[in-house]
Amino acid sequence: MADLLNIEDLHLEFHTYDGVAKVLAGVDLKMQRGDVLGLVGETGCGKSMTALSVPRLIPMPPGKITEGRVTFDGEDILSKSESEMESFRASHLGMIFQDPVTNLNPLFTIREQLVDAVLYQQARGQRVPGRWKGFLPSVRQLRSEAQERAVELMRLTGIPDGDKRIFEYPHQFSGGMRQRVLIAMALAGDPDLLIADEPTTALDVTIQAQILRLIRSLVKQLGLTVLLITHNLGVVARSCERVAVMYSGRVVEESPVRELFKNPKHPYTRGLINAVPQKDVSRGGLIGIPGMIPNLINPPAGCRFHPRCEQAMEICRRQVPAAIAVGAEHKASCFLYPEDA
Amino acid sequence: MNLRFYLLRRIALIVPTLIGLSILTFSIARLVPGDPVGLAAGPQATEEIKEALRREFGLDQPLPVQYINYMSGLFRGDWGQSLYTRRDVLPDLRTFWPATLELTTIAVIIATLLGVPAGVISAMYRNRLPDHIARILSLFFVSFPAFWLAMIFQTWFGRDLGMFPINKRLPVLVAPPPTTTGLFLIDSLIQLDFETFFISLKHIFIPSLVLSFSAFASITRITRASMVEALEKDFVRMERAIGIPYRIIIFKYVLRNAFIATITVISLNFGWLMAGAILIETIFDWPGLGLYAVHASLSLDFQPIMGIAFLYGVVFSLINILTDMVYGILDPRIRYG
Repeated sequence: MADLLNIEDLHLEFHTYDGVAKVLAGVDLKMQRGDVLGLVGETGCGKSMTALSVPRLIPMPPGKITEGRVTFDGEDILSKSESEMESFRASHLGMIFQDPVTNLNPLFTIREQLVDAVLYQQARGQRVPGRWKGFLPSVRQLRSEAQERAVELMRLTGIPDGDKRIFEYPHQFSGGMRQRVLIAMALAGDPDLLIADEPTTALDVTIQAQILRLIRSLVKQLGLTVLLITHNLGVVARSCERVAVMYSGRVVEESPVRELFKNPKHPYTRGLINAVPQKDVSRGGLIGIPGMIPNLINPPAGCRFHPRCEQAMEICRRQVPAAIAVGAEHKASCFLYPEDA
Repeated sequence: MNLRFYLLRRIALIVPTLIGLSILTFSIARLVPGDPVGLAAGPQATEEIKEALRREFGLDQPLPVQYINYMSGLFRGDWGQSLYTRRDVLPDLRTFWPATLELTTIAVIIATLLGVPAGVISAMYRNRLPDHIARILSLFFVSFPAFWLAMIFQTWFGRDLGMFPINKRLPVLVAPPPTTTGLFLIDSLIQLDFETFFISLKHIFIPSLVLSFSAFASITRITRASMVEALEKDFVRMERAIGIPYRIIIFKYVLRNAFIATITVISLNFGWLMAGAILIETIFDWPGLGLYAVHASLSLDFQPIMGIAFLYGVVFSLINILTDMVYGILDPRIRYG
């Protein structure tokens, strides 16, 4: 099957006052239609930047893509013009973000925002007649259909009384309900790919579980393709089929979820899994990975994990390891494994 | 709480404001050093004449009684009399005030119509050529003294190019439209007298343009700053990510967020311009309240001074209510809060 999304050897730099930060250093990521892929890693490892490179929303400048390709359904995204990108995002992408409070516009009703999301995504980059043209019967028809669709989307995302609550403002909604509204907006145009950038991080734990359950049920109902970004391995375990682990601007391990938890290969992945608090912490307390995330302006040569790696070898300091198949559909970028395994 | 309650509460708050204001203006007018009666009566006046004047204006009575007389006069529409001209203050205000109101209103409209788009363009092309042009222009307009620009414009457009009249609200030979509001532009429209309308538009254009410059500058700057801030908001990225066109995001979603700060500056400028129109009124020989106020204050003519202060207080309160109303319309959280 052809890849829906293919990120190849993506390099991204940020030009800051302190120097050039090499934020992404050769990210490879592939997704097929129907995939639910989790992208995990520590803060600052580049997972959000990888995700934002698909809708091309990385601020440039200061950001700059120096190498690599991003293709979506065979189309090269990086060479598109800004107006082509607008229609590309409208027709193929949906995206939800971390904080449902700041991601809704506080001055507009849910109706205004959701109806616009429906109209512009359905128009796929074409012009949409403005609300002031409401005196035309055709426009009124179009908008009332869009509103019906909006209420339908609210029902789909589990917001009760959508036909009444659509007239309310964001501040009249709870955090969980706002995240549902944002999911509804992202789904308004039946996107081919839903990118969820830490969708549960800003919510409290019970609401987190509800939102994850909602995403899972939407995957089942609509056959969504989801790229789920999180730093929480528990979220990945519950919601994803495949997982990619990022460390300092590269994907270091990629595998089906079960396989990763059962049989982690990369030393960093092992550290991450060990660091998850267990129920029985009385004996040893929390386990961390020694050291700090590397400076992106002056990253360590070779494998960027080597200064923190207990199994580091001489070659790790000199050469960047390539991704090697270490099992069925399981790849890791580490010199511990022989090339032809 | 809905918009109506919100407004009623705001309007109710005017009453204590105005009572406070009346006490303040009354005390300032009475407590300043100087002898208004002595000034009015002239250097040759005998003590008897001054005494008679004092009695006539009620200045021989204790201050609280004077204040009560003043307040009851305010409500009856008797705002006192000028010590000099012996004319009633209220009719005088009615004659001069509309000219100033018309001038400043047009100035604020010009400043808003030019300043808001300039600020938006500035923010959209931040740190690029259009932004630099807009910033240099606003720096220019805020730095040059208005009276100097006024004379330059008078010379260019009035004398050299002959495009615009150089002074007054209307030419001597054109009769002003019958007074309904005292605003020539509106009165002439009520009479469907388009000729007078265009003539007075021509007269008001240059003075109000010059008056608008400083307001233009501050409106541009605040619009730019608040647009830049609003463009950084998370919802902008979210709206872009799901494919809402950038121009819709800017002009519909972001502008409204930025406009709350802009509306504050517009209303503040309205007040400042009204109080500061005097220089422009002098240069363009504009028969407004500014000249009247200066004459009154130079001669300690306290009744007109109090009248003007009270009128401005009312106008400022009304502008504030209007501003609050716009806030309420723009931001639901204020309306319901």
